Amino acid sequence: MDNGMSSKTHNANSILLARRTVLQLRTEASRERMKVSKASADLMNYCTEHAMADPLLVGFPTSDNPFKDKKPCTIL
Amino acid sequence: MCIILCIIFCIILCIIMCIIVITKMCIIMCIVLCIILSMATQELQINESLAHLKTESESLKTKLEEERAKLHDVELHQVAEKVEGLGQFVMKTRRTLKGHGNKVLCMDWCKDKRRIVSSSQDGKVIVWDAFTTNKEHAVTMPCTWVMACAYAPSGCAVACGGLDNKCSVYPLSLDKNENLAAKKKSVAMHTNYLSACSFTNSDMQILTSSGDGTCALWDVESGQLLQSFHGHAADVLCLDLAPSETGNTFVSGGCDKKANVWDMRSGQCIQSFETHESDINSVRYYPSGDAFASGSDDATCRLYDLRADREVAIYSKESIIFGVSSVDFSLSGRLLFGGYNDYTINVWDVLKGTRVSILFGHENRVSTLRVSPDGTAFCTGSWDHTLRVSSSFSFSLFSVISLSPEVLLTHCVFFFFFFLQIWA
Repeated sequence: MDNGMSSKTHNANSILLARRTVLQLRTEASRERMKVSKASADLMNYCTEHAMADPLLVGFPTSDNPFKDKKPCTIL
Repeated sequence: MCIILCIIFCIILCIIMCIIVITKMCIIMCIVLCIILSMATQELQINESLAHLKTESESLKTKLEEERAKLHDVELHQVAEKVEGLGQFVMKTRRTLKGHGNKVLCMDWCKDKRRIVSSSQDGKVIVWDAFTTNKEHAVTMPCTWVMACAYAPSGCAVACGGLDNKCSVYPLSLDKNENLAAKKKSVAMHTNYLSACSFTNSDMQILTSSGDGTCALWDVESGQLLQSFHGHAADVLCLDLAPSETGNTFVSGGCDKKANVWDMRSGQCIQSFETHESDINSVRYYPSGDAFASGSDDATCRLYDLRADREVAIYSKESIIFGVSSVDFSLSGRLLFGGYNDYTINVWDVLKGTRVSILFGHENRVSTLRVSPDGTAFCTGSWDHTLRVSSSFSFSLFSVISLSPEVLLTHCVFFFFFFLQIWA
């Protein structure tokens, strides 16, 4: 009797899971998608627009660098 | 429908039999027969619908793949051919933060761009001032392996958690002598270890991911669960919130090799990506919010575009065989930093897909990596008990005076030969 009950709940669970997966896949399949060329172009534009403001990319004068080394300088 | 027909058929059969042979035994036998038949048909129905659902899900998966492939007209690096190459970069370690007694597992920057919170295997959570390398606060957690820590947006609190299955928030006070552990607030409760946590735009809500396969959104004040996110089939190892302009979504990556994008309000999984070949250890949104990168144990980092709904770039090299533990973008999104288990940090050109720099220095695997909020430096934590803050090394003439004599000499020699070539 117990085995019968557990197999029933197992079946019910697997149906629930399968139904959920199907619903999820249906919503995903119906989504609007963009072409990779357009999406890549947008990523590229974002990069070039913000390139100048990126300290790790273009660097900046050491006087502004908060992490500059505190070594004493000696003139040769 | 079938069940009802079956039962009606059985009842008719019973009535006919009863008319022929009127005995109690007969009636009982007929009833038992009815029950058995209805159960059998129910079982059959369930199996039929399960098989039906499975075939439908398979056909939907293939349809999804077809739809995604249709839009794959060009590769990202082909589009990026017009962009200037970056050349080789030199990154230099500026600060080394020593003080943890064991492996550093996680770190986070404060919005003031100078404070860092880090957590380690021995249960210690330390707040550092990255400019001076001083320790400002230290808390000892009651558990070991504190795998997640996060700084609150206001800078007034830190959240951390790990093997205790909880996420605790400690308000930071200016009084150094105050016992921080006394003010601890337990916010999240999971049924397995806490792998990552992050404050949302305010100090009031916290997002957590756990080894129990779920992510959850909690209210800090009351400790109440606001939303839970189910969908991963195995431990969730990392999460990242979308940059504030783009709305209420977050991405999570797990041991089931999937990266899922979730809607925070509804709890629904909006998109799912499964191209990695092993556990996804780290996910990070692109600064514009239209894409995200992931780092995995399969030694690759991949870039997924959310609007094209597919993977658009892979960052890998045959010589790199160790897994990626953490990834982060630079401010413009042009550079992708990856901390690897072979003790190095590789820097990739996001658009062209090539490696532009490699940073050595750690003596054990790099476990965590974050770029500072203003993009001036990035901090890496490692199993060698230290954290290192590094930034790019610029060769501008103005910086020559502040260099040490040996480097100054090599600069002079270099410029001498350079000018010689031009004049020749």
